[in-house]
Amino acid sequence: MNLEITITRHFLDFLKQTSSIVLSAILLFVGLGLTGCSPKARFVPGELRMNLGTEPPSLDWHITTDGTSGDVIVNIMAGLTQYQQDLKCIPSVAKSWDVLDDGRRYVFHLRDDVFWTDGKPVTAYDFEYAWRRIEDPKTGGGYADFLNDVENAQEINGGQITDLTKLGAHALDEHTFEVRLKKPAAYFIYLTAHWSTYPMRKDVVEKHGDRWTEPDNIVTNGPFKLAKWQHDYKIELEPNEKFFEGRPKLNKVKMFMVSEQSTAFALFENDELDYVDNRSFSTHDVDRYRNDAGYIRVPLLQGTYLGFNVLKKPFDNKHVRRAVSMAIDKTVFPKLLRRGERPSTSWIPEELPGSSETSALKFNPSAARAELDAAGFPEGKNFPSVQLLYPNREDTRLIVESIQAQLKKNLGISIELLNQEWKVYLATRKKDPPPLFRANWIADYPDPETYMNLFTTGNGNNHTRWSNSTYDRLVQNAAGELNVDKRAEMYRQADTILCKDEAAIVPTFVSTQNILMKPWTSGLKFNALDIHILKHANTAEAAK
Amino acid sequence: MLSFIVKRILYAIPVLWIVASLTFLLVRVVPGGPFDSDRNLPKEIIANLEAKYNLNKPLHEQYFLYLGRLAKGDLGVSYKYANRTVNDIIGDAFPVSLQLGCLGLMIAICIGVPLGALAGVNRGTLIDYLAMFMSTAGISLPSFVIGAGLIFFAGISLKILPVALWETPAHMILPAVTLAFGPAAYLARLTRGSVLEILEKDWVRTARSKGLSKFSTVVKHVLRNALVPVVTVLGPITATLITGSFVVEYIYAIPGMGRFFITAVSNRDYDLIMATTLIFSILLLITNTIVDITYKFLDPRMEVDG
Repeated sequence: MNLEITITRHFLDFLKQTSSIVLSAILLFVGLGLTGCSPKARFVPGELRMNLGTEPPSLDWHITTDGTSGDVIVNIMAGLTQYQQDLKCIPSVAKSWDVLDDGRRYVFHLRDDVFWTDGKPVTAYDFEYAWRRIEDPKTGGGYADFLNDVENAQEINGGQITDLTKLGAHALDEHTFEVRLKKPAAYFIYLTAHWSTYPMRKDVVEKHGDRWTEPDNIVTNGPFKLAKWQHDYKIELEPNEKFFEGRPKLNKVKMFMVSEQSTAFALFENDELDYVDNRSFSTHDVDRYRNDAGYIRVPLLQGTYLGFNVLKKPFDNKHVRRAVSMAIDKTVFPKLLRRGERPSTSWIPEELPGSSETSALKFNPSAARAELDAAGFPEGKNFPSVQLLYPNREDTRLIVESIQAQLKKNLGISIELLNQEWKVYLATRKKDPPPLFRANWIADYPDPETYMNLFTTGNGNNHTRWSNSTYDRLVQNAAGELNVDKRAEMYRQADTILCKDEAAIVPTFVSTQNILMKPWTSGLKFNALDIHILKHANTAEAAK
Repeated sequence: MLSFIVKRILYAIPVLWIVASLTFLLVRVVPGGPFDSDRNLPKEIIANLEAKYNLNKPLHEQYFLYLGRLAKGDLGVSYKYANRTVNDIIGDAFPVSLQLGCLGLMIAICIGVPLGALAGVNRGTLIDYLAMFMSTAGISLPSFVIGAGLIFFAGISLKILPVALWETPAHMILPAVTLAFGPAAYLARLTRGSVLEILEKDWVRTARSKGLSKFSTVVKHVLRNALVPVVTVLGPITATLITGSFVVEYIYAIPGMGRFFITAVSNRDYDLIMATTLIFSILLLITNTIVDITYKFLDPRMEVDG
């Protein structure tokens, strides 16, 4: 089916380039009889139309873990803190907070002018209920492990403790919320801006059960409220008049769920969408609109890497891994993908502390051949047949084919590409990863911890099976280090072990979000976590 | 007639049971599970989710739990869309597919049958060649090519119809035409072949020699008999059209059921896969029964039995 969709896109591109006169004539003839249906100008001041791409799997912020649901949730809810565009954490429902006991205790002081959409005030008890609910095993919270640093959170979620009140998160009074951590966690404050830690109304959830997220039932405290949800088609948001930062300028937000990229872009070109992003913006269209005034590019905290299963030969030998790493020219990838991707110089992206241009191995074919020689495979001779696993996606195929060609050219080794359907790929990678695999990581919060913890011993997402005690210790110590400079240095050292000394992975590139806006659209904010902030947005004639 | 319908219903029960059982087993054999994602969830969370949806129980227990729920009309829960039941999902999507499918079917019949009859009656003439050229094009061109072409010319270039979405009656035209293209072409070919066969019959010659006009002969006698094979294929065509088309719904962003035939499998949304399969099977059984009943009206000599 993917093939069909790809062909559709190519066919549409072909049509855009070479219009068929015959078909035009036929349709013009038909069209003469249908001019009454001709669509009118579609720009509506104060209304923003965007494309989510797909149905949000859930608007229950304890259950969902996907970005589409997040796009809606972050615009209808507000948490203790919020991310600025530069990813700094600033106050939101919490007007201030104290960090006590060497970072083991946080006390949040809440504003007293924050209200739910039904008029009731937002209190610390709403946070207490929410944090207990996400850890409750019965909820099945996808992000429950986010709060693993909170006292007893892991034990409650794992079922060892059944008393939810034992969780180290308590309302001290209506406007004071206390969190106790097992150990200091320098990144903890970022978690309080994530949707999984937003407050929730106990009475609403208990009254409506699984249907509490439907528009007639849900109560929220963010800039917009959920007005309508036509499943698999459209969500409509309306401004929350009681929003504590002030009413948003927009009167309505329409979030469509158009899966087909070329259709979504056709809607944009027809003025039926006010802005588009990667979901609706093909590489071909990025090329066409690169110089448009409404085009912007936002680097994302999304890294792609080539992983080695270090338990499988020949990648149990670090010289082979280093050889492969140095034989890949990463500057090729942006040329292939054409969305402004950045070649990786380290696993930690440059926006975060600990990133360094010298952490990863540089492209150096002669040094790569020397490493391969040292590993016992001079000029690639006797190198065993290995497979590179990748999911069935067009952009990924381009990357792995390039890696295959570069390794052949620079090292003289042949690798076999193994393409699998998405869920089969995930199952294979989880159960028994082949010697080479392509993977990526999307940061949940803007801190190096989310990237570096990934490759610690025993981490469920460490598909490389690589284990290094020095690396583990550095990452563990850095997580609790409150001195910013010391912490960055620890991560830099760990990153060097991961990508250079041991070469357990080859970081390849960092993704970007490509956005194209209509001239009448203003105030939209995007950040590197791929959060689309709509509360300052507007669509107005003046801007047109 | 009543006994025929009752018999058909009784036959349908074991057929549906076999379909449900096979699908139940097959979806669980496929690698990958509903909770597999790029970010592997910790074991505790996976265990909590599996317990929530009874996926931690032995397979035979899950099977009997499912059949028990199914017997009560409960199609289960969606693992992907956590706050919706499968009944909710089908309840929202099926009416849309039904509406689009009926429109597409109407267009397919209204164009395909007359076009085929016209070609058959005028065999070897320019009309025949033109009709068959259109029919061949309709069969050969896949719907994603037709859809993309129509969007570009009618939606973007000429701006006479909406590009996509599902808002007003005007939004239905392009998807319905795209959906109807293939079936219309197929019906035209089938009708032409059938008309040609009937025209060779002795009784047609007799009717003409007795002075009945060509038009009356074709409309009153030939077409009626020629429709038997056409009606036969209308059963599966109807079932296919009203359960939605993935491609058409995908291209035009229509909130119908067709997409779930594909996405439910790629999401390993077990209960939703079961529901789409069962609904398609039920519709196929119903439409085939209607087709069998229609035979009797087209040709009273035909026996309707189980």
